[in-house]
Amino acid sequence: MTTISQPAARTPVVRLEAVAKHFGEVRAVDGLSLDLYPGQTVALLGPNGAGKSTTLDLLLGLRGPDRGSVRLFGAEPREAIVAGRVGAVLQSGGLMGEVTVAELVRLACQLHPKPHPPAEVLAGAGLDGLADRRVDKLSGGQRQRVRFALATAGANDLLVLDEPTTGMDVSARGAFWATVRQQAESGRTVLFATHYLEEADAVADRVLVLHRGRLLADGTAAEIKARAGARRISFDLAELTGAEGGRERAAVAEQRLRALPFLAGIEVQGPTVRLRSTDADATVYALYGSGLRPRNLEVRGLGLEQAFLALTTAEEARQA
Amino acid sequence: MNSLLAARGLIRLEVVRALRNRKFLFFSVLYPAGLFLLIAGGADAGTKAAGSRLDLAPFMMVSMASFGALTAVLLGNSERIAKERESGWVRQLRLTPLPGRGYVLAKSASATVVSLPAVLVVFLVAAVTKDVRLAAWQWLALTAALWAGSLCFAALGVAIGYLATGDTVRPVSMLVYFGLSALGGLWMPTATFPGWIQRIADWVPTHAYAGLGRSLVLGHAPEPRDLAVLIASFALFTAGAGVLYRKDTLKA
Repeated sequence: MTTISQPAARTPVVRLEAVAKHFGEVRAVDGLSLDLYPGQTVALLGPNGAGKSTTLDLLLGLRGPDRGSVRLFGAEPREAIVAGRVGAVLQSGGLMGEVTVAELVRLACQLHPKPHPPAEVLAGAGLDGLADRRVDKLSGGQRQRVRFALATAGANDLLVLDEPTTGMDVSARGAFWATVRQQAESGRTVLFATHYLEEADAVADRVLVLHRGRLLADGTAAEIKARAGARRISFDLAELTGAEGGRERAAVAEQRLRALPFLAGIEVQGPTVRLRSTDADATVYALYGSGLRPRNLEVRGLGLEQAFLALTTAEEARQA
Repeated sequence: MNSLLAARGLIRLEVVRALRNRKFLFFSVLYPAGLFLLIAGGADAGTKAAGSRLDLAPFMMVSMASFGALTAVLLGNSERIAKERESGWVRQLRLTPLPGRGYVLAKSASATVVSLPAVLVVFLVAAVTKDVRLAAWQWLALTAALWAGSLCFAALGVAIGYLATGDTVRPVSMLVYFGLSALGGLWMPTATFPGWIQRIADWVPTHAYAGLGRSLVLGHAPEPRDLAVLIASFALFTAGAGVLYRKDTLKA
């Protein structure tokens, strides 16, 4: 994995500056600024309605921003597309019916200014066995692979993928990401939006978290996890049941819990306590020092999925 | 011209698709020839078409060839475009270097490729079953005129395709299609209509379209009014299609 480097001298592949897009009252994208650099593999995460698809539409020039500017390779998005520098798989991208997979891929190659041989594109997308199949007879996952083939018909420098593995089974997803990694290793910049956070964790070297059209977090998966409260500490506390000594004791215990250092979140359910901590060692040390007697204590790392949920729910709470 | 060049591959594929679509081929190629046989099949030689100096057979030949071409370009364009806008194929194409007009050009070009057999099959049936005979230059000029004139309705098809949604395109295009066919006198001579409808029909582009063909069969120069109506409607439909196309591009 490459580390994030953002030398100012290089032209960014993607540059969004204070981009805003409204749909009536809804602020789909709300003052978004963003630079992507060559060779990065970037995941765009966000709950439904966070503005992921609109952001990708703006980035590709399918929609114009109300405010701000969008540049790809220092030019208008359309210019970059005409120059054959961008390939994209959209959720909303349909396919032509009544033609075979091979015919459609050949068309994409013909339209591209720097095309790859169609046979190579088919193989790259895992479509060898489906070349003569009619496009309208394909399953959802197979259609996704055709979309990917269309996006990789030529030598693009930027690959944009919106929910690319929708409809694929687990093994197809694994094979798909292996292909994307190959694309990234050959120097392409890859930007993808996904619902499957383990995919972002495994593939991306930079993660963007979008929330209500704004950038909530931007960093490596590890940094995002750390920001969200990197570790989860769980244990049982007899004091909380209220059995020995009643309600007052439980209240005191809970007060002590909330006073622990480095807490990023606390959840109490019966006798079970779940804490999120940005420094688990210090929190646990303080926990034992507080006079409480936890049992079955467990410290675990937070997955990106939980980190993402923690970040977005915290933001929801802040705004509410 | 540049966009037409870029659209070459797309045009080829659009033609392949159209030729694979049996239902579409039936309605645009075989159906008009069948209607010709039904209407003119029993007519004796020398029966004049109402309000025309032409015999019924050559008169209906021109009508049905026009009708076939109209079917191919109007229904072909409108339905495909509306459906493909809805499916997102149009969006997908906007991510390729193909210029936006390239898609519209490819659609219209492939529709006119299908309209050619529609015209020729009616000619063949008329010549074989009803002994319709024309000079060689007339056959050529007639084919060229009907083919070129169909561009007018191809543009109308594009406009409807960008106006209607995938759900509404069929009723809308059918309404326009039947309206143009009936009012333009493609099914029966307008001379059989009440006077006030005839006066409207004179300005309907399909009437001018078939009128162009009839002048050629009679060996005349085209009527100035027919030419004017066709050119004006071509300009109108193209402008309308352009406006609707740009509106759609801004929307998504």
